Formats: sequence, structure tokens, C-alpha cells
Amino acid sequence: VSFLVLCPHCGDRPYTEFWWGGELPQPLPGQASTGDEEFARVWLRRNAAGTQVEQWYHADGCKRWFVASRNTVDNRFDGID
Amino acid sequence: MASIDLDGRRIEIREGDTVASALFRAGVRTFSRSFKYHRARGLYCLSGDCPNCLVNVDGVPGVRACSTPATDGQRVRREHGWPSVERDLLSVLWRLDRLFPVGFYYKMLAHPRRAWPAAEPIVRRVAGLGRVDRAALPPHREARHLHPDVLVIGAGVAGLAAACAAAKRGEQVLIADEGEPAAKLPPGAARTRAEALLARLRARENAVLLERATAVGVYEGPLVPIVGPDLVSIVRPRRVVVATGAVEQHGVFAGNDLPGVWLGRGAVRMAAVHGIAPGRKAVVVGGSPETAAHAEALARAGLEVVAVERGHLLSAHGRRRLSSVRVQTAGGSERIRCDTLVLSLGLVPRDGLLRQADGIPAVVGAGDVVLPGCSPDLAAESGEKAALTPATGERAEDVLPEPASSGVLCLCEDVKVSALELAWQEGFRSTELLKRYATVTMGPCQGALCHGHLRSFVRARGGGTTAAATTSRPPVRPITLADAAAGVHIQIDQRTALHERHLAIGATMEWIGAWKRPERYGDLLAEYWAVRRGVSIMDVGTLGKLMIGGRDAREFLERMYPCTVSTIAPARVRYALLLNESGFIIDDGLICPLDDGRYYCTLSTGGAEQGEAWFRNWAQYWGRRVDIVNRTQALGAINVAGPRAREILAPLCDAPLDNEALPFMRQLEAVVAGVPCRIIRLGFVGELSYELHHPASRSEELWDALLAAGDVVPHGLEVLRLLRLEKGHILIGQDTEFDTTPAKVGLQALVGADKGDFVGKLEHDRLSAIPLDRKLVGLRFPGAAAPVEGAPLLVDGTIVGHVTSSRSSPVLEHGIALAWLRQHHGAFPGTVAAGGLSATVVNGPFYDPEGARLRA
Repeated sequence: VSFLVLCPHCGDRPYTEFWWGGELPQPLPGQASTGDEEFARVWLRRNAAGTQVEQWYHADGCKRWFVASRNTVDNRFDGID
Repeated sequence: MASIDLDGRRIEIREGDTVASALFRAGVRTFSRSFKYHRARGLYCLSGDCPNCLVNVDGVPGVRACSTPATDGQRVRREHGWPSVERDLLSVLWRLDRLFPVGFYYKMLAHPRRAWPAAEPIVRRVAGLGRVDRAALPPHREARHLHPDVLVIGAGVAGLAAACAAAKRGEQVLIADEGEPAAKLPPGAARTRAEALLARLRARENAVLLERATAVGVYEGPLVPIVGPDLVSIVRPRRVVVATGAVEQHGVFAGNDLPGVWLGRGAVRMAAVHGIAPGRKAVVVGGSPETAAHAEALARAGLEVVAVERGHLLSAHGRRRLSSVRVQTAGGSERIRCDTLVLSLGLVPRDGLLRQADGIPAVVGAGDVVLPGCSPDLAAESGEKAALTPATGERAEDVLPEPASSGVLCLCEDVKVSALELAWQEGFRSTELLKRYATVTMGPCQGALCHGHLRSFVRARGGGTTAAATTSRPPVRPITLADAAAGVHIQIDQRTALHERHLAIGATMEWIGAWKRPERYGDLLAEYWAVRRGVSIMDVGTLGKLMIGGRDAREFLERMYPCTVSTIAPARVRYALLLNESGFIIDDGLICPLDDGRYYCTLSTGGAEQGEAWFRNWAQYWGRRVDIVNRTQALGAINVAGPRAREILAPLCDAPLDNEALPFMRQLEAVVAGVPCRIIRLGFVGELSYELHHPASRSEELWDALLAAGDVVPHGLEVLRLLRLEKGHILIGQDTEFDTTPAKVGLQALVGADKGDFVGKLEHDRLSAIPLDRKLVGLRFPGAAAPVEGAPLLVDGTIVGHVTSSRSSPVLEHGIALAWLRQHHGAFPGTVAAGGLSATVVNGPFYDPEGARLRA
């Protein structure tokens, strides 16, 4: 692996500067309306072979979190919040 | 006159010489000895693809003589021959081949088990390519990062045409070649074309040419590391054009590895570029479009040339160098005496980099690497096209038409065709399996010469998909470890400000995550009793330390921690857990509210970075006005512990430390020995103790002042582990597992029962409704012995848990442990067996259960 990650604050930086924060849980914290939804939010992951919405943390840079959607097959990013 | 030194012999060099050409002119024919059989090897490819000219240059082994410019004063050593490369007695191994069949070290040295350890040093001495000087410290190499629009690898006609085309469009172009562009081409159409393109490229300001810079791999991104003579370039281009050309086809037949056997382009390069005739009489084996040109160039250099058709060559003969070849004739066979055999069999793509790029978009091949043997015109056209249209997928196959039947197939690893045949019989029936078992294609050339032969060998035996190309991996050319570590500056261990102080008094240091910490200073019992009966200090600067401020700090922490935060008055401190959303413990530490509304929060050693990221994630998600500063490195911390702690600290401190001024679980700011400190009174080790948090820049003077305060012994981690175990305190990560809830470790009281929302609350509440099946308990052993950590707990022969921490307690005079215990027949057992000892299950601290000593 050797890809670049587009940090919304710092621009393209080597992936080694980042921590991967896992899939973004859905629904977001505090937004589950039922117990089942909350359970799924905390425990269930899609682990997609393809596009996945994830959290990233620029640990060796701006120290900010952002949400990005990455293709887990080829590590290409196709959207950043 | 400029010269180099070869094994103590002075050798004259001329302008434009490589190490190989200088040695060859001086009459050197044996350049190295082969990997396994110590066969004499001479110049063969002259293009940096084969292993034959690997020599030691100025102490660096494995240097390709044909690609290394000769410079005055170089010291060249031929390695791996005994007693010398010229006369190597170990070449007898070739005759003893039967004793060393393919994979012999798996078969013959497997039993008895002592055989391999005994044989390994000998095998390692005999086999190999050279020796590394272990005493010499490798030089630090610098790295730089480049971000061109287009990277072109290889500055031949195709590469130069690609670079010119991209540069003309205004793109930033980087072009790298492992030698000097055009320099190794003999005079002719290709060279003229290359020189013209080079002149055009040099006139461009937006094109940079790296000479003697070798691209060693293509990674996703794409990312291409390029190893140059002075520094390593880490290149992240938008597009890559791979124009690495092609290699003359390696010939495999009996005697094919004798010095005097050349690849066509290599022999021509020696004759026409270096101006040195490769011999007196050459047999040229042909069949490719270049054959006639090769024969002509050699004739012009003064060689008598005999042309032989491809397929008519039977074998080559000679002792240590070629003296004749046997060729097929109409009536049978004929022997031709000659000193040079030139293989002009056609080209195979030099496509290691291109195969690595499979599946990586924006990497495209151009020239010989995709169209082996193409004309200069076609190469230039292909280069221009590749530079402009990033189409992918074009590949040349490197399966050779006819499989070899005898000879050395892999020169690097000395793999003969007969060895592959044996491996095939043993069931290794695909390219990838043969590669692993016989190590074919795994040498310095990385299959540049033998990969096509390996594939045709498998295909001829009916292997369809099993004849697929093997996976190509970086590096495609040999690099040094210094190259691989280029640009790395970081110190791999984290150290506290007191690191040198620990070393100075003889501490044994230990890795704790990324930290180096003192394990012990010497006498463990002395350290232990100093804490229990006297006074001792410990460097706890590795604790995670966060300062949290901002308008919403209190509300934020209230939602981060499962305990109530808003009720902690300044001057007090609280021990708290951190839970994740699953309700599991992820860390523990202290919450210390400050007078100004900020909070000083500590985390475990190694928990600082994760903790900081965790806090920041939630602060951002909730959009709270919170400022988080990680002060782990900026602040040092020293714990002063023991019944005499107050006695030695009080005279150094400008504030009173008695029980009224600073009771247990309180904090204050004071100056100790001139150093401003936050003094936190707590008790991880179970005695009166004060943690002094202070600027790390002043750690050493504080440490020195405390040590000088009279009879103060420092203690290390080993004693700390025992002290805290006697108190039953858990270590996150050692006694906890990933799914440990507060209830399971008896810390339910640290979760606010009637508290509002906090991270992990929903799952915590849900899990709390499920009865506990497992929990962490204390074990007390009757004697001084304790089982090893990890030992299973048994009840009637059934495993009911395992030990996580265990020690023999000097003060209690019996063994103690923390352990995970499972219910057995519907109840938690009261006695268990562990490590052959019987133990009583106990709850609460082993030592001073009422905590009287903490409050002393």
C-alpha cells in the first residue's frame, strides 16, 4: 500500500500520516430510533469489497477527523466530506 | 594514469569505461563464481540483467560491474571463490551434483534434527554471492519526494519519445534511466534517434532527467521509488510510462554458462561501445532480426564470425572458458573451435516493473517492453502514444517457443534444467511452485533471463494456467538496506526526559509499546522494600496526559466518561474508566479539574495517542467547543511512594503536604526543589504516594533532588507490577480483554448509576442486564509459589479460566494472581487449581484491603 489520502485541511498526504477509523457507523451516534438500530449501529459492519464510507484521522498532521469514501479494492477515494 | 585495483592488481581504466570493460580489456574473463556450484562465470548480458559480473566495489558486495562506471582508485574484489575466483577448488561441487539435488536442505538435512543447524553455517559459507562487512555502518541515505505529472522509466528511444511528447504538452516530466541514456547503444539508427531525442529533451525546462537512477518497484498510487547514486527519490506521478526495453533471450543448453558465451547485444556493446573485441573467433547463433547486425558488428571488430542457425547449436565446451561448440550438421554433428559464442536469439521484454503494475491504473508500457524487437520508429511512436493516452493492458508474452532440455536455466541460483525436471517429478508442477522450491527466478536478476524459460518448461509439460507468469515483486534490481531505509530519521523508541538518568544508574530498559522504560535498576527486593517500608521514586512520565479546555469542556467530559465529572471539585481527583460504544473498557486514568475550568486527564502508558484521537473524534462529532492538547511529551511525572514519602518530600516542597492540606485523592500545585509541579496524591502501589507532574525540561533536576533527599531508591516496572498486583489493581491490556466491561473486573462502581448519556451507555445498560458468566478474580496460593501468567485454571479437570498476572508476594509471603474465572455448574468456584497449585478465589486487594496505608 502506498496511496495518498486527500485530507480536507492539509491536501494530499501519504497514507502513513493517517489512522484509519473504520467504517462510519450507520446511523450516526445518537440517531438510532430503536434498540435494534442501535445494536446494528454499534456491532454490524458491511466490510464491503468496493466503496465504503469511512472515518480517517490525520494523526501526523492537523489531528482532525474526516469522513471519506474509499474503494477497498483499489484504495481510490471518491468522496470526502 | 587512472586505475582501479582488482584483488591487489593494478588495472588501467580509460574514458567511458565501466568496471567490467576495464577488467575485460586487462584480460579478466572469470568475473565471479556461481551461487551453488562455483562455476566460473564471465561477462554475458552487459546490460545489468544477469548475475555474472557481480563484484565487490569499495566494500559493497553484489555490485554489477557492467553498469558501474570505473573511477580512479576503486577497489574491486571478486568474491565467493576458494581460494580465489580464478582458481576455485569448490567448483568440484559441479561434479558432485548428485549429492545436492534440488531442495537437498529440505530432504537430506531434515533428520536428525541436529543436521541442519550443524550444516547451515557450512552451506551458508559455500553458497552465496558475497559477504557484507558487518562492522561497517551503512551510510545514511537521504530521500526526497517528487510529484511530476508523468514519470518515464527508461531513457531509450521509446522512453525519450514519451518524455518529449509529454513535455511538449507542458506537463512536468521526470525521466529516469539506470545508466547514461543512449550510452550503451552501439552506433546505428537507434543511437542516432536516441541522441536526437535527448537533445530535444534537455532543451525543455519542464523535463528532468535522472541518470544512474534505478526504478526498483511500482506500487499502487502509483508510487515509484528510484534509487540514484546520491539519494533515493520517492516519486508519486500522475502517470507512469514504463519503457524498460527488452533483454536478449537467454540461451539454455549444455555448457551455456561458460565464460565466452555472450548475449548478442552484450557482445556488440563490448565491441562497438567499449571498442574491445570480445574474442578472436565467434560463433553467432541467430534467428532474430538483429542477428545479421550482431555478426556484422563483431566482424568489424576483427572477429572471425561463423553463423549458426537457431536450433542447430547443441552444446558448448571448455574448461573454465569456452573452447568449442558442437553444432548439428546435415550428416550429424560438428565441433567448431572458438573462444566466443554469441546468442542472438531475439528479445524478451524486461517487464518486471510492468507486471508489478498489473491492476494499477495510469501505468503504461512503451517500446521494446511491449513490442520486443520493434524498430526505432515504432518505439518512438509507441512512446509518444503512451505519453498521451494512458491506455493500459498492453503486454508482451515472454513464453519462449521451445523449452530447454539441458544447461543452466537460472544463472543466479544455479538451477539446471535437470533440477527442474526432478522438482516436476516430485510434484511441484506450476511456475509458482517451481519458483519457491527450486528458487528459479528468485536471484538478483529476478527472472529477467529465466522467467520465460520457466514458463515454457511448464507449458511443454502440459501446464496451462500453471504456466502463468509468476508474481513480480520489488525490488527488480538489487538495492542495499541503506537504500531501503533512505530518508528515515525517526528514533524508533520513545524516551522520557529521564532516559539518560536511568542508564547512568545501571537500569535495564524494556520496551513498553513504543516506550523504553526501566525494568529494574539492580536488586529487585531492595526496590520493593524501599516502597513498602521506606521511600522510592519511579519515572511515570510515559502516562498519557491531555489538557482539555474550552467553553464546553465540562459537558464534553461528562459525556466521554462513564463516571460523573461535573461533581468533581477542583483540588480533587477521580480515577475513571473510558468505555467505547460497545460498553467495553478501552483505557483508564485520572480526571483532575483545574481552578480555571480546564481538566487535566491522564491515560495509561501507550494510551495517549489513541485517547487523544478518541476525544477529538467525539468533540468534532458533537461540534463542541473543546480544546485538546496532548501534553504527554511536554510533561514529566515522577511518583514518590512509600511510608516515608512525605518525610522526604515536605522539606523540598513550598506547600504543606500533611493529611489536612493534601489528603488522599487530592491535588495541588506547588514548587518542589524549585520545579513547579502538580502534586497528585493517589496510590497505585498501595502506599502513601505523590505523583509530581512537571515540565519535562526540568525532570532531571527534580529527579536528582529527590534522589539526593536521603536514602531514596528508584524502582522499575518489574517491582511496579508486583506492587500493583498486591493491591489488585488491573493493567489495561494485560488483565483486560477487548470485551471487558466494568462489571467483569469489579469496577461497576466507576459507572454513574443514575447518570445521563455517555459514550457506551446504551450497550453498557444492555450488557448489565445479562448475568455475568466470567469475571476477573484474585487468587491466593498457600505457599510462596505462583503459577506462570497464562496458566489455565482447573476445576475437576475442566478449564474454567486463566491467570493474567501472577507473582510471589514478599510482604504477604504467599503467591497471588489475577485471573479470569468462568462459572462452573452454575456458580463461580471458590477454589481452583492452577499450575499444579491449589488456590482460593478472593475478592478485593490482597494487601491493605482497607487502604489505611494510602491515607496515612
